[in-house]
Amino acid sequence: MEFLGYERPDGSAGVRNHVAVISSGRCANEIAATIADSVQGAVPIIHTHPCVRLKNDNEWALRVLSGIGSNPNVAAAVVVGIGCENPSSSKIGEEIAKSKKPVEVLTVMASNGFQDLMDKGLTTARHMVSQASQMQRKPFPLSYLALGVKCGGSSAVSGIAGNSVTGRVLDRLIEAGGTAIFSETTEVIGADHLLAKRAINEQVAKRFREAVDRMEGRIKATGEDIRGTQPTRGNIAEGLTTIEEKSLGALAKTGTTSLQGVLEYAEKPLGKGLFFMDGSAMTSELIIGEAAAGVHIHIYNVGGGVSSSFRCPPGWMGEIPILPQISVVSKLSKPRDSQEKEFFDIYADTIVEGSESVDQIADRFFEEIIAVASGKLTRREMRSGYREPIVMYTTGPIL
Amino acid sequence: MKKAMRIDPKDNTATALSDIEAGETVSLVSKSGQVGEITAKQAVPLGHKLALTSIGKGDKVLKYGEVIGLASQPINKGDYVHIHNVESALLPPPKEVK
Repeated sequence: MEFLGYERPDGSAGVRNHVAVISSGRCANEIAATIADSVQGAVPIIHTHPCVRLKNDNEWALRVLSGIGSNPNVAAAVVVGIGCENPSSSKIGEEIAKSKKPVEVLTVMASNGFQDLMDKGLTTARHMVSQASQMQRKPFPLSYLALGVKCGGSSAVSGIAGNSVTGRVLDRLIEAGGTAIFSETTEVIGADHLLAKRAINEQVAKRFREAVDRMEGRIKATGEDIRGTQPTRGNIAEGLTTIEEKSLGALAKTGTTSLQGVLEYAEKPLGKGLFFMDGSAMTSELIIGEAAAGVHIHIYNVGGGVSSSFRCPPGWMGEIPILPQISVVSKLSKPRDSQEKEFFDIYADTIVEGSESVDQIADRFFEEIIAVASGKLTRREMRSGYREPIVMYTTGPIL
Repeated sequence: MKKAMRIDPKDNTATALSDIEAGETVSLVSKSGQVGEITAKQAVPLGHKLALTSIGKGDKVLKYGEVIGLASQPINKGDYVHIHNVESALLPPPKEVK
């Protein structure tokens, strides 16, 4: 099986062909957004990272912003800044340049003022879009594809419907040589041993346990202990009996393949297969971490109920830059929820209704992934006109 | 007929795919299709579990092919399985729900 993608100079393949206009610090957001909004095909990457953060968070911001620029869904990138940011515009540009794609760095300090920067930015973005628009999709094997995954708004049937189906789909992609990344360190606390058992070797298992211990240490440093708070009263009402059952339901979305590696937030995997990324359970942070690690498509699994109703299932309003997102819903129990069917790409409630098996849904879900990888727009991508800054995972204080 | 799903062949529990009444016989399905029938001894709400075999006190309760806890009471085939007869093998339940 193959998908139709865009060939990149570093040997990867993109499923979209964006020109990213990346703001290197929040002070340049308006510049980046203004340039991108003036050029069709350009996407602004704006965020809230200030220069008043500690080294670790600045390094992560560098990895996120350069990772988005390096993502195969990006044909070319313009980095715009004032010139005094941390991470610096030039460093972000240097990192993106390692992917061999066209990248330009423009700062106010290196220009003849603001208007000169805007003119240069617009000219550069137009040129890049013009070049990108001449590229043609060509066939690539599925081993070129990487998926990011997250579940949320879990319901009583999440583990058997959406998460089981997603697990089947991930297994199938990985069998075909592809890659998948999941995250949410807090989600595995209490059942971490179940995932450690799936590690490819003791080194990976050890790194995984260290990531869990580190997250738990950060939580404990605030005076809270989250072990012993799971499953929640709401989970028990939905039928989840123990922490093991809850975590296994969440882990069902990762399928059954071995864990190949543990990544830091926004770190790129070095091999193929299933990877765990350390990070929070906040959807918007997680999607951006996975995008910076190079995934092509994000899969978001919604359990049902109110989380399927507010029309922003990823916990992120408006447009998601760079990545197409395939949204899956497990259960639409109320008439209020049923009207939302139109806003999901994959409707997995048929398992509960009894009209389809897990395998049958996995079949059409897999076909949808290939279609989206080949250019089909997702429901989420078709929504435009409202945008929020991207959100990055941080652990240190704002100074 | 209503359904309950046995997620893994090793499982000794199945998950109700709709609200099941006491005494009701439902179709048991796997990920690929029907594999049998099971009669519920007590009512089992949607998303909750019932036992597919008898499970002795202290024995493993399995879902997803993995241990989700240990039986804290003897469980009969068809019984409703939840916090009244299963405990985590890892952690005690949260204090507020004890």
